[in-house]
Amino acid sequence: MRLPYTLAVAALSFSSACLAASWSFDDATLTVSSKGSGGDGGVKEKLSPNSPSSKAITLPAVDTLKIVLTATEGSTGKRPHQAFLTLHEPTTGLEESFPFSLKENGNGKVEVTQKDLPYQLLTSKSPLKASLVLASFGSSTPYASHAFDLTLQLDTTAPPTAPTAPERYTSKPVINHIFKVQETSGPRVISFFFTIAVLAMLPVLFGAWALLGANVDHLGKAFGSAPIAHGLFLGSVLAMEGVFFMYYTSWNLFQMLPVAGVVGTVAYISGSRALTEVQERRMAGER
Amino acid sequence: MRWLVASFLLALLSVVHARSFNSSRLLVVTEEITEKDKYSTFWGDLESRGFSLSFASPKSPDLSLFKHGALAYDHLLLLPSKSKGLGPNLTPNMLVNYINANGNILLALSADQPTPSAISSLLLELDIFLPPDRNALVVDHFNFDKASAAEKHDVLLLTSPKPLRNGLRNYFEVDGSIAVPRAVGQVLGNASPLLAPILRAPSTAYSYNPKDEAEAVEELFATGSQLSLISAFQARNSARFTVLGSAEMLENKWFDAKVKSQSGVEGATANRAFAEKLSAWTFQELGVLKVGRVEHYLNEDLPKGTANSSEVGFLDLNPKIYRIKNDVHFSIEISEYVFTHLVPFTPPPTDELQLEFSMLSPFHRIPLVPTSQTANSTVFTATLTLPDQHGIFNFIVNYKRPFMTNIYEKRTVTVRHFAHDEWPRSFAISAAWPWIAGIGVVVAGWVAFVAVWLWSAPAEDGLRKRN
Repeated sequence: MRLPYTLAVAALSFSSACLAASWSFDDATLTVSSKGSGGDGGVKEKLSPNSPSSKAITLPAVDTLKIVLTATEGSTGKRPHQAFLTLHEPTTGLEESFPFSLKENGNGKVEVTQKDLPYQLLTSKSPLKASLVLASFGSSTPYASHAFDLTLQLDTTAPPTAPTAPERYTSKPVINHIFKVQETSGPRVISFFFTIAVLAMLPVLFGAWALLGANVDHLGKAFGSAPIAHGLFLGSVLAMEGVFFMYYTSWNLFQMLPVAGVVGTVAYISGSRALTEVQERRMAGER
Repeated sequence: MRWLVASFLLALLSVVHARSFNSSRLLVVTEEITEKDKYSTFWGDLESRGFSLSFASPKSPDLSLFKHGALAYDHLLLLPSKSKGLGPNLTPNMLVNYINANGNILLALSADQPTPSAISSLLLELDIFLPPDRNALVVDHFNFDKASAAEKHDVLLLTSPKPLRNGLRNYFEVDGSIAVPRAVGQVLGNASPLLAPILRAPSTAYSYNPKDEAEAVEELFATGSQLSLISAFQARNSARFTVLGSAEMLENKWFDAKVKSQSGVEGATANRAFAEKLSAWTFQELGVLKVGRVEHYLNEDLPKGTANSSEVGFLDLNPKIYRIKNDVHFSIEISEYVFTHLVPFTPPPTDELQLEFSMLSPFHRIPLVPTSQTANSTVFTATLTLPDQHGIFNFIVNYKRPFMTNIYEKRTVTVRHFAHDEWPRSFAISAAWPWIAGIGVVVAGWVAFVAVWLWSAPAEDGLRKRN
């Protein structure tokens, strides 16, 4: 009678022990200390498995962060296969894990200095989230929980050297070519003013000539004696100016030269006849 | 007699025709031919997509990746082998030559067999690091399959991978969870832009050596998302090399296994769909971009002097020479190949195609906007004003992204300066008007002088007497 009863009790307790097993830790202390002081100064904090530490931990540049704990499976101290302190950077999602060195009974520690941290975690703008991960093979419930927040005090005199940015295939920044400054003319008003001033010189010139006694009194006489010559000559002088104007506006050299040749020939022939007529007048004492 | 010759030629033609379409030759290298039956569903899926499979052992003497200087097989699938290397015909050097000749490789590793050192050194060349212990296994005590690995935790149960970063397309998304049994984790070097992780381990995973580190793990190779379970390497010629950390996830029994997650949720794995996506990407059925027509032309009114001889095609397409400060219109046609046919290509949401107009460095880098779509391509266009620098320039479309074939299209044009008759005329320049007026005044004065000299009478006596 007793045997099956004890067997049943044993079986029940065994199964309940199996069901209840979950990883956790005991006696966890966190210390931040520098090498020389030996743990007297610095921060000392107790960690609890059920709730994260409300105090924000700061790790100065030369100090060491040390966590000592005893890992437990159920109620007995035991060494899990995986015992990590994981530091997680919230904005980029990057994280790094540091393994505990534990003895068989689950006692052990981990030490972290700023030298062990990669550049991306060192230069994090917000505090790193530190979690403790205790897990192993088998059916025990693993433990992973946020334990505390860690802020890093970087050494301002020796900032961490940034690694060279790796090349990644992505779209590159937009470039729009900046054109050279276009040449502009001055204000139009000034151009107008000087144009008018120059054009006004023409009547001034004619007035000065008139004062000096310029006239075209012999026009009738000249045209009477040699109308064709004088007409053609004046026409060819005006035509030559016209050729120059056409060359300025639309013609090219090969269109202009033949016309200029013709006009020039006309000017030469008619001009010599016109000059003969002028000479006749000079001989007659009228010039 | 004639019908004999004709039928012979027809037979020859059909043989030639059949061979030219048969360009999806896949070689599977596995040490024990009996092992290939474990993956029979996967072979069936590949064959139904049009691949012709051949099986060979690495020790077979007549195995050769090249034949007469060309590739004998377009794709290569290497299953884990127990021996120290892959044999004399598959040395790392030959595999690198294979990739340089545009061959694709899917290399499967397994934690059950130690990775040969030849493979480790080949992967080291690609900047992929394997654990230095030959026996390495990735475990996760938080994301494992309770149905098959309740004690050992070596079958990881992962969700479908997300896009790597903003602006990339995810070709490996599946519905359901992916079982990764007995995987070898890899760590990717940071420097190379050609590497990308396809499937990363969750943050509580880590890699350890089951032989030496069975009690506790003290020195970590890598943990969490730094461990890449499936890594992709796309060479600059767009040949693909995928390292699959767990060959077992392609086995029949994992294609529709019933798995139970840590929280007790039961379901079927999506391994079959994931294997299809993975093999499709590696063997150039997904993520392949093809460039169609590239056109550029002058986007201005033609000057009055030029004559238009023909009505159709009045545009001078792809001219060799432009002038500085011309307005130019550029368009490029891109399609994406999806399994069997071409579809119009749309870049991922925050990503854009860019056109560079560059001599030695870009003068312009402007976005190419999709303006129209044909049946199987999208036309991207951009309009730009050519810089005021003359010289030899290139239109460059340089679109390289992880998981997509590299596009590099370059068109060279000359950009000349203004011709002597293309400058603005002086009468159009307001600052020149006084000078033009001066010329006019001189002309008028000259003609008046000629008239006065020819037809003037002597001046009044008063002035003459002074002389």
